[in-house]
Amino acid sequence: MSAEPIIGEPEIAALVRERLPDIPFEASETKTYADLRVAPEHFLALVTGLRDDAELSFDLLRNIVALDMEEAGLEAKYQLYSFPHGHAVQITVAAPIPSCELPTLTGLYPAANWHEREAAEMAGLVFTGHPDPRNLLLEEDLRIHPLRKAHPLQKAEILQGIEDGPPGVEV
Amino acid sequence: MSIWPEERVATADSDLDTVDMTVNVGPQHPATHGVFRMVLTVDGELVVGCEPYIGYLHRGLEKLSENADYRQAMGWWDRTDYLAGMCCEGAYTMAVERLAGIEVPERAEYIRVIMMELSRINSHFMFLGAFGADVGSFGTSFVYAWRERERIYDLFEEVAGDRMFPTYFRIGGVTMDLPDNFESRCRWVLGSIKQGLEDFDGLLTGNEVFVERCKDLTPVTPEQAIAWGFTGPMLRATGVPWDIRKAEPYSVYPKIDFEIPVGLQGDVFDRFHVRLAECYQSVRIIEQCLEQMPEGRVLAPKLPKTLRINEGELYMPTEGTKGEYGVYLMARGGTNPYRAKLRSPSFCNLSALRELVVGSYVADAIIILGSLDIVLGEVDK
Amino acid sequence: MSDLPFGEVFFGLSWLDAIIRIVIVVLVMTLVVVYLTYGERKVVARFQMRLGPTRTGPIGLLQGFADAIKLLIKEDIRPRNADRWVFEFAPYLTFIPVFLVLVALPFARDWGVRNLALGMFFVFAVLGLNIVGVLMAGLGSGNKYALLGGVRAAAQMISYEIPLVVALLAVAMVAGTLDLNAIVAMQDTRPFILIQPLAFVIFFTAMLSELHRAPFDIPVAESEIVGGYFVEYSGIRWSMFQLAEYASLWAFSIFGSAIFLGGWQFPFGDDWGWGWQLVLTLIKSLIMIVLIFWVRATLPRLRMDQLMSFCWKALIEVSFALLLINGLFLYYDWPEPILAAVNWVGAILFLGGIYLRAARKPSTKNLVGSYKHAEVPNP
Repeated sequence: MSAEPIIGEPEIAALVRERLPDIPFEASETKTYADLRVAPEHFLALVTGLRDDAELSFDLLRNIVALDMEEAGLEAKYQLYSFPHGHAVQITVAAPIPSCELPTLTGLYPAANWHEREAAEMAGLVFTGHPDPRNLLLEEDLRIHPLRKAHPLQKAEILQGIEDGPPGVEV
Repeated sequence: MSIWPEERVATADSDLDTVDMTVNVGPQHPATHGVFRMVLTVDGELVVGCEPYIGYLHRGLEKLSENADYRQAMGWWDRTDYLAGMCCEGAYTMAVERLAGIEVPERAEYIRVIMMELSRINSHFMFLGAFGADVGSFGTSFVYAWRERERIYDLFEEVAGDRMFPTYFRIGGVTMDLPDNFESRCRWVLGSIKQGLEDFDGLLTGNEVFVERCKDLTPVTPEQAIAWGFTGPMLRATGVPWDIRKAEPYSVYPKIDFEIPVGLQGDVFDRFHVRLAECYQSVRIIEQCLEQMPEGRVLAPKLPKTLRINEGELYMPTEGTKGEYGVYLMARGGTNPYRAKLRSPSFCNLSALRELVVGSYVADAIIILGSLDIVLGEVDK
Repeated sequence: MSDLPFGEVFFGLSWLDAIIRIVIVVLVMTLVVVYLTYGERKVVARFQMRLGPTRTGPIGLLQGFADAIKLLIKEDIRPRNADRWVFEFAPYLTFIPVFLVLVALPFARDWGVRNLALGMFFVFAVLGLNIVGVLMAGLGSGNKYALLGGVRAAAQMISYEIPLVVALLAVAMVAGTLDLNAIVAMQDTRPFILIQPLAFVIFFTAMLSELHRAPFDIPVAESEIVGGYFVEYSGIRWSMFQLAEYASLWAFSIFGSAIFLGGWQFPFGDDWGWGWQLVLTLIKSLIMIVLIFWVRATLPRLRMDQLMSFCWKALIEVSFALLLINGLFLYYDWPEPILAAVNWVGAILFLGGIYLRAARKPSTKNLVGSYKHAEVPNP
């Protein structure tokens, strides 16, 4: 029975389109939730709408996944859940290619703080306006992004405490 | 510097020149439950600032999973929430199965639920014992917890051959069927667990000193809890009856009758009490599973030798012991996931530590940290 | 009592006599401390369904010596930013007052180092000096945990000395003397706990606090400030703190059993020789010690402000009320049974108040039922 979708509600995309008609997005299905792919310039408006609209009211930010899609650049996926209505949705937003900048969600969801710090250090996304953009899991002065596909799994040597240059990766 | 807040206001206006002191707690400190570090800024006994530092146990779970076969990665997922290895295995295997569209035999689902609930009891007992020690009961609660945990671990060893990191689940079922005398052994362990819970109830819940310490300490409203991303017992303590086993059920949980214990005001005592009550519910679930469990295979037939998943992604939430243990997997062909991400409940619960701790006393900061019930393997991934 | 071997002055020289007696007491004390650590581990282990030490010697009887030897040969570490002299002298200053207290304690009739006419006063005065060493350790270690622990210890010990002293003064008023031997000798028919139970309750509570025992072990809280003021000490200096802790535990127990439980006098009085009197004192002090261990194994720790408010808002008031009641009874010369009855009522009211305060908390029965339940509809 585990192959059935848990809560796969295809109508959620239609509902979002109905409630937020001004925001363009592409809807698709994952194995569990509906996925809304939105352009970075509409991203903040979409999330604000999802959170504040009475019919949607997605009040829990569950998770942020930072993805390195190689040639397509970086993507971020946000899983949201609504306690009042019991529905969930995933938002995908592709970061602009050279800058990798996305707006921070800490103003909307305080829970985004650590998720964004993690995504920033692991994949190299830049969250503009983040109140505390330090490394979270890695060394504070380390500027490597281990979850980029280009980052090697092995042969990685982190150099610490060397004066003539920032710590980094030696391949 | 005074320990009474009223007087603190008074001294702040006077000419006395006081300096706040920073106290470094951890990474080696008995109260941090692992390698967690927080820097407290204290004014006398009052905490005025708190800066948590994590990452001492970061092992690169996600990177490793991306570079390993779907099956090989299982051992690492065990080691995230190392107090409840089976729950983590369950979340990961269910996510892979759903991604690959594999059907799991019903008996295997029941076995999994039994194991996951035993793990949950195990983890909650660890919390009860360690929390008692945080509040200061000189190891008595710790040893009480250890008796039951040892019996659960013995059961795991009989079933899976290992105690903490069984790697018992397989994609498509479980490794092997239960041993012959499992049901009677399990019922005996459940009886012992109930006795242990009664003991805890007697030792801590009714204890005047314990209640005095925990009651009304950092109450959290449901709105705050949701905004900070609390899930699991932390959220339920605030009175929100949200449990993924009910809200977005997976495995055989829809067939099982159990209740969601919720707290009244989300203070430290409620967090403790909800976890204690959850253990009773877990015992109920296991008892029902033992009754309902059908005979049959425990591993899906005709599984591919090498699991290849073409396209697809999913975010699979499960109710871990600390909250929503979610697994994000993305497949783009091949034997490895393209991206694996863990939504760890301890990580999200811990992220609000500063908000919870600031304004309390040093001694309270310790038990607030204890009441979050973090596992550093899960926080640091 | 000239037939007792220790009743008279050795060799007719009072200074030699004093030295011999002190050496005997110190040696006995060291042995007692070694076995108190062993005893605590054993007793607490039984409370916790464990066995405690079993490996060193028969049923672990030599464990204390093994620990002592290990501590003696350990390196004595001094942190670089510690204040050298303050740091190094602090252990002695906690440990000497405790041993000085032994001078005044009555172990049996005429079996003590010196029988002081102001024995009770001497015990208070000297035990109060303990705090100097604790504060020195806290301030001189150059460690913030130690600083917190030292400051906590100072606040706590100074506060709790007041109810302790006042409660004992109330007993001294009834006894009419501060001479410990005389107080013990007065209890030939009834121990003072029967006529001054409220004073005993206050004394026991304040004693737990003075000894830094649970639930008042805030200055040495392991899970918060990892040992408090002695966090930086190691080896011999650390063991001096331990020695002082257990020695004061024993000293307080002897002191309390002499004042409240009838010491060597009750129930057999002078019918028995000094040997049995010693045994009686030991048994009574052991009862108190086991009681302390029991509390330690059961109760969690209070918070600093709760501890302080319990002292200043409850204990001090009750102890002054006790002083007042005893004064009235003595002034008007009312009979003793009525004094005892009033005290019992006071003790029952005090303990009942604490019990009722605990009882107004959420019920522990029907754990699940006491919490509201919500059914979440399956989507």
